[in-house]
Amino acid sequence: MPIAARPRSVRGMLLILLLPAGIGLMALAWIIHGALLDRMSTDFVESRLQDEVAFLEHQVRQSGGRIDTLQTGDYFQEVFHHAFAIASPSRQAISPETWAPLLAPLLSSKQEGAVRARGAEVPDAPSEMLGYRRAFSVDGNPFVVIVAEDMQALQRSQAELHTWTAVVSVLLVSLMIGSIWVGITLALRPVVGLRASLKKLQSGDISRINADGPEEFRPLVRQLNQLLDSLDDRLERSRDALANLSHSVKTPIAAVRQILEDTSRPLDENLRREMASRLDDIDAQLESEMRRSRFAGPQVGQSACPVKQARDLLWMLGRLYPDKSFELSTDLPEHHRWPVEEHDLNEILGNLLDNAGKWSSRWVELTLGEDQGQLKIIISDDGAGVSEAARSQLGKRGLRLDEQTPGHGLGLAIVHAIVDRYQGQVHYTSSKAGGLAAGVVLPGAD
Amino acid sequence: MRLLLVEDDPLLANGLSAQLEKAGFSVDTARTARDARQLGQQESYRAGILDLGLPDGNGLDVLRQWRTHKVSFPVLILTARGDWQDKVNGLKAGADDYLAKPFQTEELIARLHAIVRRSQGRIMDTLTAGRFELDENRQTLKAGDDTEHSLTGTEFRLLRCLMSRPGQVFSKEQLLDQLYSLDDTPSENVIEAYVRRLRKLVGPDTIKTRRGQGYLFDADSR
Repeated sequence: MPIAARPRSVRGMLLILLLPAGIGLMALAWIIHGALLDRMSTDFVESRLQDEVAFLEHQVRQSGGRIDTLQTGDYFQEVFHHAFAIASPSRQAISPETWAPLLAPLLSSKQEGAVRARGAEVPDAPSEMLGYRRAFSVDGNPFVVIVAEDMQALQRSQAELHTWTAVVSVLLVSLMIGSIWVGITLALRPVVGLRASLKKLQSGDISRINADGPEEFRPLVRQLNQLLDSLDDRLERSRDALANLSHSVKTPIAAVRQILEDTSRPLDENLRREMASRLDDIDAQLESEMRRSRFAGPQVGQSACPVKQARDLLWMLGRLYPDKSFELSTDLPEHHRWPVEEHDLNEILGNLLDNAGKWSSRWVELTLGEDQGQLKIIISDDGAGVSEAARSQLGKRGLRLDEQTPGHGLGLAIVHAIVDRYQGQVHYTSSKAGGLAAGVVLPGAD
Repeated sequence: MRLLLVEDDPLLANGLSAQLEKAGFSVDTARTARDARQLGQQESYRAGILDLGLPDGNGLDVLRQWRTHKVSFPVLILTARGDWQDKVNGLKAGADDYLAKPFQTEELIARLHAIVRRSQGRIMDTLTAGRFELDENRQTLKAGDDTEHSLTGTEFRLLRCLMSRPGQVFSKEQLLDQLYSLDDTPSENVIEAYVRRLRKLVGPDTIKTRRGQGYLFDADSR
């Protein structure tokens, strides 16, 4: 099972991640604090005990090994709250007396340095103590000195400190939870704003989302607005197209119906031709509006494979014009993508290549390339070419430079319309073979 | 000249078949994809006119089926959609030409004569070398895995030259003869560019370079 699979909200996700992490880290800090405290106090006590042992040893050495002359009394216990035991070959001195059952076995043991004793059930003596034992000899007589401290008392005060730390930790954790909550709420405020804007957009109170907001959301808002723009644009265009279409189609239909309904009128040659021309008008209108409404323009998430599409179109035209050669010249890799809608690119390439195919005598070449972030298409042929004066008229709708090859005007007009939509340019020059070279430059991906 | 007309609209089918008869064709009409499939495979026609929108199926599927059954008469497709991709798909499925509806009967007849003329003396011509099959009529290359690549004119001529004698070394000068360009001095770099492109289609090891000599087609390489 994945951890926190598909969080329902950013806030929930952040809380789920940050809260346990915060609490866990705080708990870890508390545990480490306890361990360090324990170790520090043990070290401290141990070094003090060691000092005292050294002091006692010094005293013993000064008195020449006679421990009964040591005027210690309850000095250690009163000053340090410590107990001590000194053993010489002749006698033992243990102070206070109640610690004797604990300290006596240690005197006879062989352990040197820090010693611990716990679990002993002796009245008036601690159940756990830390001692320091040292054996030495004075004038050939062995001596043992032990200084010990009641660990329970120390642990009690340690535990108190540790508890206070826990209380402070809990307070800090709750402060942290609070600040995380406030932070998340503040950071997510733009999202709430965005949601409100979307709701308003849906209800029609506003037509575009306000682009203010944190940097992270600005591209998103921009894309959304672009999408809205293109939707509006498309709606408007298709409405216009339909209005134009119905206007220009209904009249010829009415005329043809009129003729067909009039049974008294003979359907002579003239009338037939008239009817056919009306139907042609309808077809031409339909065709031009269809092609116009089909192209998409620049769109998010749309791209085309120029080399693959060019190859298919060149191959097809090669089949349709078997005595002409259609060639491709490009350095682009086979699966290279251009940020142009697939159908639009097909329409640009297809119309220009079809034109070149019609006008060429034997040879058409398509060049695809990229230069400084611009997409470049050049289609050149070896036909008669177009005079420089007439070139500026190319692509103007409804104009056919030569009535012999029909359809010329619409194809180029469509290419111009699509290229305009992408904010590119179409330009015409002479090809090296004396024919026409049509060049298209489109902006590449930013 | 026997001709198969596949068109589901009776008004158009009747009118068209009358006009085609007048132009000297003897016309069989099929109204459905099923009939078209059957007639195309049983009878031998000189040409076919195929409407793409049929009541019981897509005309392109009929065409593909004919072509897989080695029905080779030239086919002109009629389509109401003038989309470039539709045209490409039509030709890839095995059509020889397309005409967008509505059309003038004279143009239809002229195109029919053209595809019949082109198909004359045409047999299913394929050049096979190893796992590669070069369709000379359709200018396509089929690799062993049944993917079909469409080739441009020069790509096709170069590949046909190399595949005609697998294993033989062709010099760059020999290959330059296959190049058809109006460029006055086509350079040998152009050959290299084409070979690079062909290698992407057939695999890098299939066309081998013999340094200083030229190129050879190795049909057995994987």
